[in-house]
Amino acid sequence: MSENNEHEHSKGDDHGHDGGHHVNYFGIYVALVVLFLISVVGPEVGEATGLRWITLITAFGIAIVKANLVIQNFMHLKWEKNLMKWVLATSLILMFLMVAGISPDVMNHEGNNWENLAAKAAVERGVDGEAEEEEVVAAAPLGFTAESAYQGICATCHGAEGMGNGPAGAALDPPPANFTDAAFWADRDRERIIMVLENGAASVGGSNLMAAYGGLYTDEQIAALADYVIEFAPEGSGPGQ
Amino acid sequence: MAHAKPLATLRSATGIPTPRLAIWWVLASEVVIFGGLLGVYLMHRIGHPEWADAAAHTQTWIGALNTFVLLTSSFTAVLAHQAAEKGNGKQAAKFLGFTILGALTFLVVKSFEWYTEISHGYTITANTFWSFYYTAAGLHALHVIAGAIIMGFVAVDAFRGRELHRVEIIGIYWHFVDVVWIFLFPLLYIAK
Repeated sequence: MSENNEHEHSKGDDHGHDGGHHVNYFGIYVALVVLFLISVVGPEVGEATGLRWITLITAFGIAIVKANLVIQNFMHLKWEKNLMKWVLATSLILMFLMVAGISPDVMNHEGNNWENLAAKAAVERGVDGEAEEEEVVAAAPLGFTAESAYQGICATCHGAEGMGNGPAGAALDPPPANFTDAAFWADRDRERIIMVLENGAASVGGSNLMAAYGGLYTDEQIAALADYVIEFAPEGSGPGQ
Repeated sequence: MAHAKPLATLRSATGIPTPRLAIWWVLASEVVIFGGLLGVYLMHRIGHPEWADAAAHTQTWIGALNTFVLLTSSFTAVLAHQAAEKGNGKQAAKFLGFTILGALTFLVVKSFEWYTEISHGYTITANTFWSFYYTAAGLHALHVIAGAIIMGFVAVDAFRGRELHRVEIIGIYWHFVDVVWIFLFPLLYIAK
């Protein structure tokens, strides 16, 4: 560091380090790419071997090394005046202080005299929710019913009652189809519903937000699902009527 | 007088050229903005094991591709700086152009990624993990957009041989945007 300061002082002008530093930029770039590759492959190895420390070191340890390479060599912080290093260090310390200050409240869900019921409920719900989801997927090939498939997969967007108002559908454009709308059935027959279920709506010129499910279900199951959807049609408008 | 520069660009009490001092100050405040956001994310992530289920749905390879794109754009940004130091404005403008191309590639990849995620129901309101995901990556993407636009102005000037010192300043900012992504990548994509 003192060497660098001498270098700065010896220049004695306002332009600090504008003289160039003979950094091997390409060498630094190659090092960054190699480190990046390790940070992608490392966690895969960590996961495959079940050694969590490999994931942590290759993901976060290497991120720190990479960031430091960029900051020192590309941003030239190592040639910058000490004043700037102190300013940055101060900001970093304040940031860590803030995080450390609130961490006991965020990371713990209970203390001596308090309990964060909402956070506990969220953890509970999340873990249970995932378990149920896995059961549905695993059970699909064996205990298939059109209703369970519809309520498990389709209802997230199309709604439990087929009205196109599922929780995940709210943000979609175009919105999910409303099966209880007579206008929807005006130009749709059973073959077309089966086609869309199997190959996605894009296969008939519709939105590609409606994905293909042919890989998930057998032909018979798709047909049963189509009949289930058709049942949402209002009196006198569906293909079956 | 009409062409006189503001006093602040002509003198420097710290010995650091004012534009560079200014960009470092900006970045010092950005450290708190991004650091605070990521710190809070990390705490929630550790406190809520169920977030791992949501995080499992981020697309590692897309994140990896964008990491590579930004690393490369940082490299071209520093080459632009090197060319500017040698007084070669055209060369500097060319490398800034490559950097802008990197920024655009990053944004196109990101749009594709978000489009798929949103269409699968992983929206910003789906749960707290996705809220953090879109807030952190979105704030970062805004920095990419702003950087690319400013870099365009700097590149045009540099091409005409004007204000070459700005190439270094926008470069320092751009490297910071890269550094933020270096941390976002493992946080959002790798640690499943």
